[in-house]
Amino acid sequence: MTASLRPASLFLALVTALVGIVLYCPLLVPILSSFFTVTHGQADWSSPTFAAYVALAQNDDILSALRATMIVGFSTVVLSVSIGTLLALYHNGRGAGAALLQFLVFLPFLMPPIITGLALLIFFREVEFPRSLVTVVIGHTVFVLAIVYRTVLTRLRSLSKTLVEASLDLGASRWQTFWRVILPNIAGAMAGGAVLAFALSFDETMITILVTGTTSTLPVRLWAMMRLGFSPDINALVALVLMFTILLCILAARLLMPAKDRAAH
Amino acid sequence: MRPSLTPRGLLLAGLAFALPVVLIVVPLAIFVVYSFFSVDHGTMVYTPTLANYGRFFTDPVFIPVLVTTCILCVSVAVICVVVGYPVAYFLASLRGRWRYTLLLLMLVPLLMSYVIKIYAIRSILGQNGFLNAALMTLGIIDKPSSLFVFNLNAVLLALTLLLIPFAILPIFLSLERIPGNLLQASYDLGATGTQTFLRVTLPLSLPGVASAASFVFVLAIGDFLTPQMVGGTSSFTFSRIIYSQFGAAFNWPFGAALSIVLAIVVILAILVGERFGQQEAAR
Repeated sequence: MTASLRPASLFLALVTALVGIVLYCPLLVPILSSFFTVTHGQADWSSPTFAAYVALAQNDDILSALRATMIVGFSTVVLSVSIGTLLALYHNGRGAGAALLQFLVFLPFLMPPIITGLALLIFFREVEFPRSLVTVVIGHTVFVLAIVYRTVLTRLRSLSKTLVEASLDLGASRWQTFWRVILPNIAGAMAGGAVLAFALSFDETMITILVTGTTSTLPVRLWAMMRLGFSPDINALVALVLMFTILLCILAARLLMPAKDRAAH
Repeated sequence: MRPSLTPRGLLLAGLAFALPVVLIVVPLAIFVVYSFFSVDHGTMVYTPTLANYGRFFTDPVFIPVLVTTCILCVSVAVICVVVGYPVAYFLASLRGRWRYTLLLLMLVPLLMSYVIKIYAIRSILGQNGFLNAALMTLGIIDKPSSLFVFNLNAVLLALTLLLIPFAILPIFLSLERIPGNLLQASYDLGATGTQTFLRVTLPLSLPGVASAASFVFVLAIGDFLTPQMVGGTSSFTFSRIIYSQFGAAFNWPFGAALSIVLAIVVILAILVGERFGQQEAAR
């Protein structure tokens, strides 16, 4: 903010760099361990190996958990994006009803996941709905709905009213206006919301642990294995998952950044 | 699109509210009702009782654990804010694309798998972990320290590490909103850099600090995985006790009652954060 604080700025830059390193440390450990053999905290740097990745390809237990996670993720995306978009379109975020709706949608996101998870667990038990991946999908949808709803709503609000009015004035029906004007404008936000929803669902652990049946998703499987310590193939998986997540982040950032900002980069 | 009181409008409103009501309101309502039931020898007793809340207030275990947990989570929030503030300040002082690129870099770890991060932190902090190995290599200690192994210190460190990005973002946003001409005016009037910071920047960024602290607190107090994983067998936090009521202890109604207590603490924290933030912003 100012040039007169040279030593101070240097100090701040140093703190920022340190915090950055500390934040990335927990991510680097499993990635490094996936390529090198580590015993008692000492890595053997001399011989990088892909053995862990080969072992991973043969670990059926983990691969089936990964498959379950993908199924849950995609189902959650489809459900949350369609419901979230419909809710955003329905009320456009104004008036008392909209405020109530927004509050309800945001409740599971604001409450600690343990409360959302336990409430759903008791609910499923009381209505005698057996716990399975379906209950996990419901749990995830309830959790991520707020994000998709919010993302689409923000874009809808920034959409100039005159565009819709112009379309109607030019004789387009409501459906035509929706398909030709509104939808193309919110498609980016829907896609961005979908990526965020997938990323959140992919990583969701606390609600999943509570509402899952016998088949578990990857984070829950990892959680169960963690008590015993991870084998090298788990480190390999972790490294792959981290790379995948970074890709998702970049994708979400691109989709959510407004077009004019993107041009400036 | 505008909702109206015609039959069609009411139908639409019903449809829009149906899902949130069925999947959000109803489960939460059942949850609250459950906290007034009880369990007798492993079977549910559906007679309303205040016994669960009575047990919470009279049993010598639960209130101390809640207090300890609150102190722990407040400490996490304070550390996150103290560490996050200089970072946010530095990022906000940058210009152009660096500002947002670095901000994004600081936020990326948030989207990384939670379980994996906890595991990595545990392997860094552990008896044979990287931290001890590094300290021994540097000659600071001569045998592995157990200061950060399976205790509340470990939980504190792990939670702080996991939640720092949540503190950086709100503080950055509040710093970014401070108009540049206010700072310019302060300098023009002869204030030094330190004076400008203490009298202008800091007060104007307090709403961000308040919401950062309440964010971190709420996330820390609701987390039952981290204490379970790095806290060992002795360091019980409130969420962990709730979780155990649904597992080993198998007392769902009591767990529900404890969760309601947790929800009240969380709501208070959110309200305090919001109140403080708005008050400062209104000045």
